[in-house]
Amino acid sequence: MKLMEYQARECFERYGVPVMKGVVVDDPSKVREKVKALTFPVVVKAQVQIGGRGKAGGIRFAETVEEAEEISAELLHRELRGLMVDRLMIVEKAAGIQECYLSIVLDRSAKCPCIIFSAKGGVDIEETASKEPEAIVRTQIDPFVGVRRYMASYLLSRTGLPLELADSLFDLLKNLYRFFVESDAMLAEINPLLICEGNSLLALDGKVDVDDSALYRQPQLLPYGEAVRREELAAEAQKYGLLYISVDGEGDIGVVSNGSGMLMSSMDLISGAGMTVGAVMDLGGGAAADKIKEAVRIMFLNRKLRYLFLNIFGGITRCDEVVRGVLAGLDGIPPESTLILRLEGTNKEKGLAMLAEAGDSVISVDGLAAGVEALRGRRNGK
Amino acid sequence: MSILVDENTKLIVQGITGREGSFHTRQMLEYGTKVVAGVTPGKGGQTCEGVPVFNTVREAAEATGANATILFVPARFTMDGICEAMDAEIPLIVTIAEHVPVQDMMNVYHMKKERNCTIIGPNSFGIISPGKSKAGFMAHRIFSQGGVALMSRSATNCYETVQMLTQNGIGQSTCIGVGGDMIPGSTFAELLPALQEDEQTKAIVLIGEIGGNEEELAAAYIREHVTKPVVALIAGKNAPRGKSMGHAGAIISADGTGSAASKERSLREAGVSIAESTAEIVGLLKKLL
Repeated sequence: MKLMEYQARECFERYGVPVMKGVVVDDPSKVREKVKALTFPVVVKAQVQIGGRGKAGGIRFAETVEEAEEISAELLHRELRGLMVDRLMIVEKAAGIQECYLSIVLDRSAKCPCIIFSAKGGVDIEETASKEPEAIVRTQIDPFVGVRRYMASYLLSRTGLPLELADSLFDLLKNLYRFFVESDAMLAEINPLLICEGNSLLALDGKVDVDDSALYRQPQLLPYGEAVRREELAAEAQKYGLLYISVDGEGDIGVVSNGSGMLMSSMDLISGAGMTVGAVMDLGGGAAADKIKEAVRIMFLNRKLRYLFLNIFGGITRCDEVVRGVLAGLDGIPPESTLILRLEGTNKEKGLAMLAEAGDSVISVDGLAAGVEALRGRRNGK
Repeated sequence: MSILVDENTKLIVQGITGREGSFHTRQMLEYGTKVVAGVTPGKGGQTCEGVPVFNTVREAAEATGANATILFVPARFTMDGICEAMDAEIPLIVTIAEHVPVQDMMNVYHMKKERNCTIIGPNSFGIISPGKSKAGFMAHRIFSQGGVALMSRSATNCYETVQMLTQNGIGQSTCIGVGGDMIPGSTFAELLPALQEDEQTKAIVLIGEIGGNEEELAAAYIREHVTKPVVALIAGKNAPRGKSMGHAGAIISADGTGSAASKERSLREAGVSIAESTAEIVGLLKKLL
């Protein structure tokens, strides 16, 4: 789960990572009241998860209360690059000397947290990585040891920044790491990290990605998930424990499978045959009939899809359950649409026998390649 | 020979009295696996599917001399179950649960380096040495005994491949579900030395997918140390960037790390034959064997 900026800021504040004073508003008429506590000038920031938010006009400066109100009215409850702005964060404008980059990320290859630091902040780290790789310094954290003071000195020394900052950087790193571990984060990024007068530091913007598998033990973060705008069909699928992933807005083929690997293999074959997958769905292991029924219904809510390839290789998933679900969901299949079903594995024969009931509305194929062939045949037939 | 599990494997099932635990204990017993003990706290002294149940792994291991364990416990109890098995000095620990918190696996990964044990999974179908033993939930009918070892991040892609191998008369020595998570208990590269050593294994199939760089690390090991033919498939070439494809680990990051192209290039440079689809694996193996 990727937190919104204001949520990341709240977390940072709770953990003693220095941030600017600020407020969150979701109603333009409340701006005057809310900004009373702030010293002007302020920055008004639209809370949407898009890249290039500043360029899109989502980050604006206000000198006065009136100006803040005006900007808020312009931004709130409007779309910014296709996403609705439900909230604004208004923070005091900071004055500093230099913008840096700092993050703690879970390093998959080293299998431990890694600090990434650069004296060049404010831009995407990917951009710095490709243009000036030498401007980025990394250091790994042994999970059984944690953050040590020498790491702060190392990061500063390697980036040519004054070592006088080591105390404040070490403090910040300790707090950010404590947040990272206690919140099951996979990424905690501060960009820009502002160096201010008196060797103090300030987190101006934050990105946090929390491990979805660990949300069960992060009750304080759960309300944050409700504020994040999700794709409609993905949200609908999530209600039933299904994973809907949109792939290509122009694709007319949907693929549903009981495993991520099979989904990817199906997509590779379909794309290789010159056809375009619009969306895919992972049922996970052991889906029962009611889940299958919902899966078919939700996929066809994507109006672009004309063909659905249900590709099952059942281990823990049982083919007869799949067919039971398909039969229960036949009414939900729009006319002019095709459902291709590939059954393999546990209780295949039982499932195939039951499928006779469906008549012509379901095309049954034997094997993954046969399924792709059937897709091609049906699409060319029209 | 085969690796990790065989007729001498004496297996504990942690979570044996649960729905999946008892069902798959029966399946494993039918296949010939020596399931010697089960563990469910509070149910010690009972039996399940004819297998004695203990309260703790240590008691189960002491009473039965077990040398492997499989965890049929929910994701949130997986780390505790692994730690318990490590404490009881079980040398092989198989975990199947999906959605284990990644920081749990990070800690487990560093703990296992200090101890003499192998961890397989999580988010894995387990391990099978066909004709001998299985520790997992895979549909075992499609497997057959022979000389091809298989490691896969995906269960479904492994099944698909194994079925075609068996239909074409190509048997398997050991098939390992490395698992679909970001941090696996054992990586491809960590499993390769045993497969290179194993006399029964004549060729190795590696089924990877987008995300991370374990395939690249495997390629580096293969180039230096593996003399047996290796065939690899990388799934997810057409997956969109920045989206996790169901497996927590199957994600290409914004900077392109984890792409299929980089993995295929590294593997090819290490002399590995790349299959474009599961169906192609059979043809490549026939040429190489």
